[in-house]
Amino acid sequence: MTTAQVTNAQQDGPEAALRTIDCDVHPHLPKGLRTLGPYLPVAWRRRLLGGLSETSWATEVYASQLALPKNDMYINPVGSMRRDAFPEDGSVPGSDPELMVRQLLDGGGVDRAVLIGGNVFGIGALVDPDAAAAIATAYNRWLREVWLAHDRRFRGALVVAPQDAQLAAEEIDRAGDEPGIVEVFLPLMNTLMGDRHYYPIYAAAERHGLPITLHPNSVDGIYARAAQLAGGVPTYYVEWHTALTQVFQANVISLTCHGVFERFPGMKVVIAEGGIAWLPDVMWRLDKDWEALRDEVPWVKRKPSEYILDHVRFTTQPLPEPSRPEQLRAMLEIVDAGRTLVYSSDYPHWDFDAPGTTIARLPQPMRERIRGGNAIELYGERLA
Amino acid sequence: MSVTAPHVVCAADELPPGARRIVEIDGRSIGVFNVDGDLFAINNACPHRGAPLCEGTIEGTMLPSEPHSYVYGLHNRMIRCPWHGWEIELATGRPRFNDRPGRARVYPVAVQDGQVVVRL
Repeated sequence: MTTAQVTNAQQDGPEAALRTIDCDVHPHLPKGLRTLGPYLPVAWRRRLLGGLSETSWATEVYASQLALPKNDMYINPVGSMRRDAFPEDGSVPGSDPELMVRQLLDGGGVDRAVLIGGNVFGIGALVDPDAAAAIATAYNRWLREVWLAHDRRFRGALVVAPQDAQLAAEEIDRAGDEPGIVEVFLPLMNTLMGDRHYYPIYAAAERHGLPITLHPNSVDGIYARAAQLAGGVPTYYVEWHTALTQVFQANVISLTCHGVFERFPGMKVVIAEGGIAWLPDVMWRLDKDWEALRDEVPWVKRKPSEYILDHVRFTTQPLPEPSRPEQLRAMLEIVDAGRTLVYSSDYPHWDFDAPGTTIARLPQPMRERIRGGNAIELYGERLA
Repeated sequence: MSVTAPHVVCAADELPPGARRIVEIDGRSIGVFNVDGDLFAINNACPHRGAPLCEGTIEGTMLPSEPHSYVYGLHNRMIRCPWHGWEIELATGRPRFNDRPGRARVYPVAVQDGQVVVRL
């Protein structure tokens, strides 16, 4: 799918050509897991939402019903959410589609917003693979009914649970071609992505032409089954939050060294909110090591950095903010941002990058590519 | 720069302690605050990314301190930006504890003849 084809498709519709594509936006379940009740089969509703419904002495001591795994350990002093994004009824930011339309789409001039569910980042930490898969499916049904049907500018990431790759592949086959779906969101667990455990997921995503998207998992380093952080356990939120990029470095290295992109040549990986400043080190170090060590991984036929730049896409937020703008330009050039970087706001999180001011900081030759061109190339006619 | 004509924001009793008003003066959005009896007027744009600063919360902050100790201070002297959490000092418009350049403009504000008056 080329840029030109999508532009042509747009000419048939009432809208002008797509310009600004926001590739990391978070809808939230207004009542947490309970919101998914109507979207779960009755047996899973009983299993996941049974037990005590109200806070009681028992819930203060032991869990008596499941909560979606999230960061319950590191406390963000700013509060994690943009403070002007709370709906009037006080519910969680990102839970009211109409407010998101007003603030982000109309307010920010965003033509398409790719929705990645904020409550399901951590389902890779669940210990029960069947529960994780049931939650993923229920979330996907909710996303379709409440969000994708609400505004034609919304697009969705279909979440799959990583614990059982066969169940995940079945979910991609069930819903991967539903209207509005543009990618598969794969929450991570403590198995690196080069591992053949995941290959049924990659095969299904490739079959449907869907990129696989990663995002910080909210639970990294906190739960036993979650992706662990390097070196030890951080103490402060600022330490933990800064260290989250380690997980993406480890997985990019793993994907490349296992030859995943040789095995699945159509596969694209999107790293949302993972940053880019670590990428030069990973690429240069891998390339240098590979020159001497390729004998160990002979299926890595090209320079590792070439696979990364061909197959991995990165979202802008949080864009590095060096005090000298030429340093940002140099960084963008090293990572071939005119091809690999896609704009994202991370609305409604506290470290949101507004479209206007963020895009204005990008150097001119690549600005329009990052604003929307690269995303159109990545998602093709699914954006039309 | 000459001081321009005073702009009346509201009657003084319409801005009691704890209240704020975000007003448009000469095309600029300005937040006027009564914090525990002290008046502040500050430009409604964060020096970081231009967010509506004056919709933020009035807070104190943790003062620079020895490692592994917390010292709370500047109670209600800071406003925290609603987007990225930058802490801006109400009196100066500066992000007091980071070394970024730039600040939000602040304006003289006082009660005159029972009215809250801002001068640009």
